[in-house]
Amino acid sequence: MFPEWMQGAPYRFDTVLVANRGEIAVRVLRAVKEAGLRAVAVYSKPDSESLHVEIADEAILLPDGPLSENYLNQEAIIEAARTSGAGAIHPGYGFLSERADFARAVSDSEIIWIGPGAESIEVMGDKISARSRMISSGVPVIPGDEVSIPEGGAHLGPLAVAAAKVGYPLLLKASAGGGGKGMRVVREPKMLRTEYEAAAREATAAFGDGTVYVERLLTGARHVEIQVLADTHGNCIHLNERDCSLQRRHQKVIEEAPSPGVSDSVRSSMGDAAVLAAKAVNYVGAGTVEFLLSSNGEFFFLEMNTRLQVEHPVTEMITGVDLVQKQLEIASGLEMGISQDQVTISGHAIEARIYAEDATRGFLPAIGTLSTWVAPSGPGIRVDSGVRQGDEVTVNFDPMLAKLVVHAPTRKSAIRRLDSALSNFVALGVVTNISFLRNAASHPAFLSGNITTDLLDSSDISEFRDPEPPTKALVSIAEAALRMGLDKTHSGVAGNPVDEHTGHSGDPFRTLSRSYP
Amino acid sequence: MEWSIGDESERYSVVMSNDGEAMSLSNITMDGQEIEPPNLQVSSDASSGRLIVEIEGIPKFAHVARVGDDWWIHLDGRAHVVKGYEKGSQKGQEADSGLTAPMPGTILEVSVKKGQRVREGQTLMVMEAMKMEHKIQAPSNGEVSQVHFQEGDRVDMGSVLIELAD
Repeated sequence: MFPEWMQGAPYRFDTVLVANRGEIAVRVLRAVKEAGLRAVAVYSKPDSESLHVEIADEAILLPDGPLSENYLNQEAIIEAARTSGAGAIHPGYGFLSERADFARAVSDSEIIWIGPGAESIEVMGDKISARSRMISSGVPVIPGDEVSIPEGGAHLGPLAVAAAKVGYPLLLKASAGGGGKGMRVVREPKMLRTEYEAAAREATAAFGDGTVYVERLLTGARHVEIQVLADTHGNCIHLNERDCSLQRRHQKVIEEAPSPGVSDSVRSSMGDAAVLAAKAVNYVGAGTVEFLLSSNGEFFFLEMNTRLQVEHPVTEMITGVDLVQKQLEIASGLEMGISQDQVTISGHAIEARIYAEDATRGFLPAIGTLSTWVAPSGPGIRVDSGVRQGDEVTVNFDPMLAKLVVHAPTRKSAIRRLDSALSNFVALGVVTNISFLRNAASHPAFLSGNITTDLLDSSDISEFRDPEPPTKALVSIAEAALRMGLDKTHSGVAGNPVDEHTGHSGDPFRTLSRSYP
Repeated sequence: MEWSIGDESERYSVVMSNDGEAMSLSNITMDGQEIEPPNLQVSSDASSGRLIVEIEGIPKFAHVARVGDDWWIHLDGRAHVVKGYEKGSQKGQEADSGLTAPMPGTILEVSVKKGQRVREGQTLMVMEAMKMEHKIQAPSNGEVSQVHFQEGDRVDMGSVLIELAD
């Protein structure tokens, strides 16, 4: 049975397999169910109890072992789609989402690939081919030189020559990299070999491809990206920008839309450039064109992410467009049903990424059991989470636990809402960056909106230090908790306790008797 | 029990007196020295695993979770770890001369040899965990007295990787 919105579509499907895990699998599976379709999850053994498995209509166990055996196992995932009767596969982000060979294998198996065509992924996935395609299409690119180093590079001659031409400081990138992995800053020539080796190793471990690429490092720039949407009927629009300037080691920390550093005229010319970039590769679906915006308003193409982005919710909040729903419509061959002049900006949205990591120890990933996990809620607060209370945080996967997204009429009110929501976000048992996010969001540079990508890495970490802890209260609470035997009484569903008197879960009047801090 | 907060070395002792449903703070010492106790009561909010803390008359919720001897407490919008010790137990449990693996992972590179002098901040080892590289750096100047692992070894969290002597 096809849902009513799909009736007239040329490529219909009633079941979607989501080839991912964690928060994005949960986000997409929910959207699939909302669209009136059957949602199929895949999982590896350690994920048997995880949230994305729980919410799916059907979940298929992938072979045990390293990622290559399960979440990166193309044959097993296509086989899972066959056995579950899935007519389409949504890859989420990461994992197989930007693998052209997978997109091709899916299509060759007569399954609809919810994403751009393999050729678009191929051209944009290789930084060198993407760059030359952008140059020929008239999209501005970062000044610099391009060089490709073959894998295993025992001789660094070509790299050294290119590096000297590009100039220091420079950025070494894995050609197939992303998410900060396989990316290194080289400040002086003598560090070239060490950093190259580190980048190549990281890239190999994460992507199975050790090729690197060199480019001039622009300091003091903003990272601004444009969300694009294109359908199979030749319609291509942009949904404004996201500002992802607050980064740490090239990992985005806080993203917002609209950007405090983008004027209407920059928005419009950057939007045009993004549409141009998407059209240059015959793009279909939801994608993101990333730019570096220098302080004088000049912008340069960085790369195109040929998939849904982690930070897509901020765009959804300000435009009111559900990007995953649009992906489903476009994949079924429908027109996207929204024109450029219908895209508006309503208010301001900010996303903070909740990581299991220790900001006081160089952002080292943290592990443990989430013995308490209470996400904030309320008007203008959205939490995309892949975990529940009681879940285990292990070293096996990316340490991002959830995304907190707030929406408010202005940037200032959105920042206040963010701080309030972060302070009501209770995660115990695993060290998280929640406190650090509060510190970052109250930093004068962030408040002023004057953020550049090097802010966190060039600032003294003490600027983001926690305030003095309320020592006397804390030790008193610990002592009292111990004497009350509190550790034995831990039960109940977080944030939705059963009322002792009525026996109802989540009694709406319950809060009236409580004074929340 | 004695308590310490996060990585701080101060030890606190607390005397609480039962006050009907609640407990009142009557005495608090830091490293054996008595310090001024605030007006503070703690009572239980039984159904939710939270405590209600009244500090100088202002009530707040505290979420509390116990993991081993650590008490994780969320108070005033921040999470804290309060560590519990048996009274009079040794300060600092591990030998501080050893550098331990912060995460389970694989050793990628051993940059120093036994007997080598190292400077503060110098990279001693590079390990890989969660697909990211982490440098193990010397906390102070010293001489490498032991190297416990070599390239390619898998290490558990907390394994002593390398030892330094002054």
